[in-house]
Parts: sequence; C-alpha cells; structure tokens
Amino acid sequence: MNEPAPKPRPVPRPTANTQFFWDAAKRGKLALQYDPDADRYQFWPRAISTATGRRNLEWRETSGRGEVYSYTVTHVPTAGFEERTPYVVGLIELDEKVRIIGNIVGIDPGEVEIGMRVRATFETLTDDIDYFAFEPDDG
Amino acid sequence: MARNFLESQDVCIVAYGETKIDRRTGKTAYELAAEVAEELFARTNLTPGDIDGVSFTVPLSECANPFWSNYCTDYLGITPRWLQTTDIGGASAIGNVARAAMALQNELCETAMLIGADAPSSKWSAVYGSYRNEFWEPTGIQGPPGAFGLLMNRYMAQYELDFAGLGALAVAQRNGAAVNENAYERFRKRIAVDDYLNSREVSTPLRLLDSVMFCDGANGLVMMKTDRARELGFENRVYPFAYSEITNFAGAEQTPDITETGFSVSGPDALAKAGLTPADIAMFHPYDDFLIAVMLKLEQIGFCERGQGSQFLRDTDISPTGALPINTGGGQIGCGQPGLAGGGVNLVEAVRQLMGEAGERQVPDPANALVTGIGVIPYGRNWGTSNAMVLVK
Repeated sequence: MNEPAPKPRPVPRPTANTQFFWDAAKRGKLALQYDPDADRYQFWPRAISTATGRRNLEWRETSGRGEVYSYTVTHVPTAGFEERTPYVVGLIELDEKVRIIGNIVGIDPGEVEIGMRVRATFETLTDDIDYFAFEPDDG
Repeated sequence: MARNFLESQDVCIVAYGETKIDRRTGKTAYELAAEVAEELFARTNLTPGDIDGVSFTVPLSECANPFWSNYCTDYLGITPRWLQTTDIGGASAIGNVARAAMALQNELCETAMLIGADAPSSKWSAVYGSYRNEFWEPTGIQGPPGAFGLLMNRYMAQYELDFAGLGALAVAQRNGAAVNENAYERFRKRIAVDDYLNSREVSTPLRLLDSVMFCDGANGLVMMKTDRARELGFENRVYPFAYSEITNFAGAEQTPDITETGFSVSGPDALAKAGLTPADIAMFHPYDDFLIAVMLKLEQIGFCERGQGSQFLRDTDISPTGALPINTGGGQIGCGQPGLAGGGVNLVEAVRQLMGEAGERQVPDPANALVTGIGVIPYGRNWGTSNAMVLVK
C-alpha cells in the first residue's frame, strides 16, 4: 500500500439534502430521515424514500442510541487515523431500525462486543462539522 | 423468471486471452488492452477490421475519462457497431458475456471482442460520490477490507467459522497460482494453512491473506454466433449456457441480515436455468476478492448449508482433480487482482479449462463450469452485484 505524505481525515461536504443532518450534529444530535407514509426511518440520507419512492421525508432528531450489529478493528489506518490505530469501526443498529457506520470510542478495542449498547457522541472536525461516533451506553 | 436466452447455445466463445498479472507496470489500461487484443487476434487469425462488437469494463485507472470505450476502440483500430462499457465492477466480466450474447443474437454485431484491462497499481483515478464523502471516508473504514471485516465478524456471531477452512482455500488457490504463468510472480509460491492463520490482521477478523492485492493486467474473449464459428472453423467452442444477475440485493431494507447475499437469488436461478444442481457442477470459478466471499457463495448457491461453508472447504478436495475444483488457476487472491478487470481472471480460467488448455492444472474433461462475479462495496451490507454464469463445452 502507498503511504505518501500524511493526509488529514476527510471532512464531509454537506449537500442540499444533508445540511440538516450536519446542523443537528453541531448541536450534538443524531438526526435521521423519517418517512411518515411508510412509518419508517432510513439511513444514509437520500432525497427520496427507498420505501415509497416519494420525496415526502422529515428530519427527526433521535436519542442516538442503539447496539453494535458488527464491528472491525482497523490495523491499517486511513488518512487522519494514524494516531489512534488500532481503532474500531462499528456497524450500529439504532433503535429507530436503521444501521450506521461509525467509530466506537471510549472503550478498549478488545472489549467491544456484538450486541452491546452504544450511544452517539460527537467530535469536532471543523467549525462547521462535528462528526458522530459511538461510545458504550451505560444507561 | 424469464426464459433462458442462452439455452439454444446459438452463441459461443471461440478464444480467450490474458496478460501476465504484475504490480506497478507503469502501463496504461490502453497498453494492457492492446496486449490482450493482440493475443485474441493471433488466436483467432482475425484483424481489427473483423471486429464489429466490443465490450469493456470500466478501469479504475481510466474512469476519470468519461469516454474510455471510444478512446480504446480508437486505440485498437476497431470500428464497432455495438459498443458497451459495463460498470458493475468485478461482475462486469460475465455480465459482458451475457450482454454480448444478446447483441450477437439480435445481430447488432457478428464478432464481439470483450476486454477487461486495468492498471490500478500504476494509476488510480476513481473518485466516489453518493454517501462516500460524508458517511464512509470520515469513519476511517479501511475500504473493502473494512467492509469485509464487518461482514466476517457478523457471520461469526451467527455461525461457526473454521479459519482452517478458509486457510485450505488460500492454500489451494496458491497451488493454482504456482503453476499459472500469468500469476503475479511473487505469489507463485505455495503456502501452508499456518501461513494464512499467521498472516497479520488488517481489519480484524480479516487477515492479509484473506484479501486480493491490486495489480495491473488484462483479459478478454472473442464471441460470435455458433453457426458463424463453425463456418470460420473454430472447433474448440465454449458456450454460455445460463446467466443470472442481481444488484442491490435487499437494497431497500434498512436492517437486512448482511450474511445473506444476492447469490441466494442469482446462484439457484442460474442453476435452475441450466437444469443443473450443485452436484452436477464440474468446477467452480468464483469471483474471489476475499476468501469469505467464496465461502458465502458455496452456502448460498447450494453446495452446502448456511453456516457450513468453512467446514465444506476444510473437508472437500478442491484441487483440479478433486470433488469440486475451485479457482484452479489461483483466482484473483492467488494471481493478483488486475483492478476492475479482475472478474476476467476467474472467467478466463474457466474457459481455458473447458477448452482443455490448462496444462498441469487441467481438470479431467470438465463438462461445465460455474463462474461468478461480485461488483461494488455498498454501505453496511455485503456487495452490490451478484451474478452467476454456467458455461458448457
């Protein structure tokens, strides 16, 4: 693998559709799209409901709570993660019945387990972007 | 399901070609396409002017050029009346056999050249859109190994995974690469199961030797209608006999079981169209970006039960003379992955075997082959496209 000059961690560039998500993240909230016609949440954000094919979607701020559906311990860092290697990338099933990929932090990588409860936490990347991660949810 | 448009064997493959697979060649996709085209012209005694149909896969090394297929036909001196570039990643190789068959049947062209050429270890031009910038790249997920680490760990939560079974597959494929002159030279040495088990973890539980490595290379086929092949004297013919493809399996579901893949649909469908059961398959040439992908296909196409894939690999002779030969030429994990031309590695080996030209790794008189393709890593699931093709002599 190529390891040229260190690059920074990629920073999201919000789109017209996703701006609400990032505004909510800046307030420390994990927002999800909700389709009132299908009574269903979806993630990642799209400009259409994959259930109904309609653009009738609302944004809802959620508790950010869920459980670990799967995880992987990363030993070969991507840009900006060199200092925290090894680190955990989780596939989290939120209580709203959607899945989201995010780092699992605040726990030794060897202690992470599938099924464990987690909650959203945020780290500041730039003035405009706070990025979500997940930490053990002690209730 | 629709009728089997390949059942009558009215189209066939008359030649295959493949370059040596190598790392950081400094070659472009055009130069590699030229190498495989020359081999195809030489094997068929055809010239650029004889080719009136062309299909390509999108190369990682040239995908920033929106006109790759036009540029490459110009480069090769071919004037196609049917031209297609397919962007279903590693599923494009057998996908293009199916698409070329339809073009030939409908007389859009008479003589089709199917080329996969890519050089991602020399040049990388892919920039992904959609969710990638916001919801994938900032998470630090290690690309395909990260996605397969998630998949593998979830499988282990639901089923028993015997790593010795995956190791047996790694060993068998390296045995194939060792006797395959087109394999990346550094990979042409045999390994033991312990070498697999002791290889370093990249994205736990996924190890280095679970994975392909990007290389440069090209492969291709020439296809035409069977009547025309007979007239032109092509006696060694291979027929695409059944095909099934599915993309974005369970794509609208928010919480699918990610250990279930599109092969649970396309595998049984392709076999049913061919009138075959897994027991009838003479050899299996599955797309192998990661070992566990091969294992999941064995389960979901029906070679064994769900959860039994690693035990099946451990207990089955998968060598060229075994009960179910798998990726006899080394596959992509054994030979190196020539970028998005990778699907052609498995496909060309199947054709080579059916033509009886596989040398010391020849499967004794194989009647058929099952070849699969995998394309694209999606968000939090397994893979994008799952396709399967039965080839017969």
